[in-house]
Amino acid sequence: MVNAFQWWRGPLLAFALLAASRVLLPLPFVIEVVIFSVYTIGCSFLVGRVGFISFGQPAYLALGAYATAFYLSYFGTNPFIGIALGVLGGLVVSCIVGPLFVRLRSDYFALVNLALAVIVFYLMQKVLAGITHGDNGLWFLTNIASTPVLDVSRPDGFFIFAFLVALAVWVLYKYLDDSVFGACCLATKINEDKLEFLGYSNFRIRLLAFAIANTTTALAGAMYAVYLGFVSPEMSSPSRAADPVIVTILGGAGTLYGPIVGAFAYTGMKDVISKLIGNWELFIGFLLVFIMLAGERGIWGTLQPWLEKLLTRKSAPIATAEPPADSREKRD
Amino acid sequence: MTASEEILSVKALNVSYGESQVLFDIDLAVRANQVVACVGRNGAGKTTLLKTIAGFLRPRSGSIASGGVSLVGRKSYEIAQMGVKYVPQDKKVFSDLTVRENLELGSYATKDYDWDRVTDYFPKLKVLMDRTAGYLSGGERQMLMIGRALLGRPKMLLIDEPTEGLAPSIVSHLRAVFGELSKSAALVIVEQNLPLICAISDKVYAVKEGRVVAELEDRGAITAEACERYL
Repeated sequence: MVNAFQWWRGPLLAFALLAASRVLLPLPFVIEVVIFSVYTIGCSFLVGRVGFISFGQPAYLALGAYATAFYLSYFGTNPFIGIALGVLGGLVVSCIVGPLFVRLRSDYFALVNLALAVIVFYLMQKVLAGITHGDNGLWFLTNIASTPVLDVSRPDGFFIFAFLVALAVWVLYKYLDDSVFGACCLATKINEDKLEFLGYSNFRIRLLAFAIANTTTALAGAMYAVYLGFVSPEMSSPSRAADPVIVTILGGAGTLYGPIVGAFAYTGMKDVISKLIGNWELFIGFLLVFIMLAGERGIWGTLQPWLEKLLTRKSAPIATAEPPADSREKRD
Repeated sequence: MTASEEILSVKALNVSYGESQVLFDIDLAVRANQVVACVGRNGAGKTTLLKTIAGFLRPRSGSIASGGVSLVGRKSYEIAQMGVKYVPQDKKVFSDLTVRENLELGSYATKDYDWDRVTDYFPKLKVLMDRTAGYLSGGERQMLMIGRALLGRPKMLLIDEPTEGLAPSIVSHLRAVFGELSKSAALVIVEQNLPLICAISDKVYAVKEGRVVAELEDRGAITAEACERYL
């Protein structure tokens, strides 16, 4: 595909801005943006590439966070082992529920994931209150040991760690997007029957995408746990179920920069607007309606053509073999 | 594989959509490298027959076997992996992917990266490699779909109405391609273009109201007049 926007310029720019924001903005805000972008990238992949809208992402976030929290509260002090267990927790649960969930389509898939978030919420709040301390949450900040080289128990060290993790996650999703697997995901979204004609199992493709996306979400949960030193059932509250979907749509579904832009915009608006008016969610709601009506492309989808022009202004015009967009025959 | 070997055997096939039966006791046999055409009016059940063979519909009763292996109950992707590929009628490609990416999907599934064979049949695809498939014309889409199905060297292609809505020059090209293809694979073609059927078919099944009402096996008997009786 002819793409004037060379791929390496994007992440370089995005992560340069993110690094610059570390200097210009408060550290907790930047860390929140970095973790939120990791939280959202899996959801964005599911929505944009596979065609799955999931309102159950908080469940996988909480599972990753609680797996990390249990280890750091009761078994050990190394935050990296805690994060690894959080990721493993997300992967295991995805592999257990995935074979059941990915058989469902669209609305049922969204709702069954929401049901999982409700189950996880009540498990952590009531059923397992003996070890989760229910609504009081689990505190373990002082249990986290300092680590050599990169001390993630300190906010500065944690920021660098979170930044590197976000970069690695971004590269992974970039690789997935460009791979045949990424094309298969898009193909299963466009026309699942046609993909089976070629000899692919839609079920396996969806299951793999589901497991990758939710394991990434669990990674974000594990990072939250280590950063805050605290987890509570509120993490998987059904009232927060739409957050990653909102950020995905706000940033631009299915794009690689959308989650970063969306997380930045959402966290920024939350911080700024909540200081000015009490009901900041109302403003987000109106903004989403506006974005949908403006073309469903999200902030990144709207900015991308403008940035492409800006970055390639001095380059020779690139020949395109494609006819104008309005002549395209949209049949599929 | 010898030319006399039976590559597809359908016996007493009954298919229903819910309570409504569409195919009644269909018998069909295809040998290796044979071109078999199914003719009949719209709604006669031709597409249902191909979709059932390809595993998209489950028969109510009857048997479908390829090379002695039953296809009934197998998933459609398993049947494709066995070398029985279905090329549907609607000419829908993966419109958001390029021609190259569409072919990559075919290659990755079959581990066959011999695109020269595909472009030998359809040279035009060479210059369209980076074109988004949604921008292709109907004829180009058909070339892409057949070309993609050729990857993995299938033993049989089930092609549904390949010339519908295409320009005469493309139909003429496809006719030559089908002639060449039959040297390496069996073809089952649902088609209403009688000159094409007469030119390429070794056997014709006439389907009417879900039943095979005639079987023309002698090339001399396959004439436009003979086929027209069932349209």
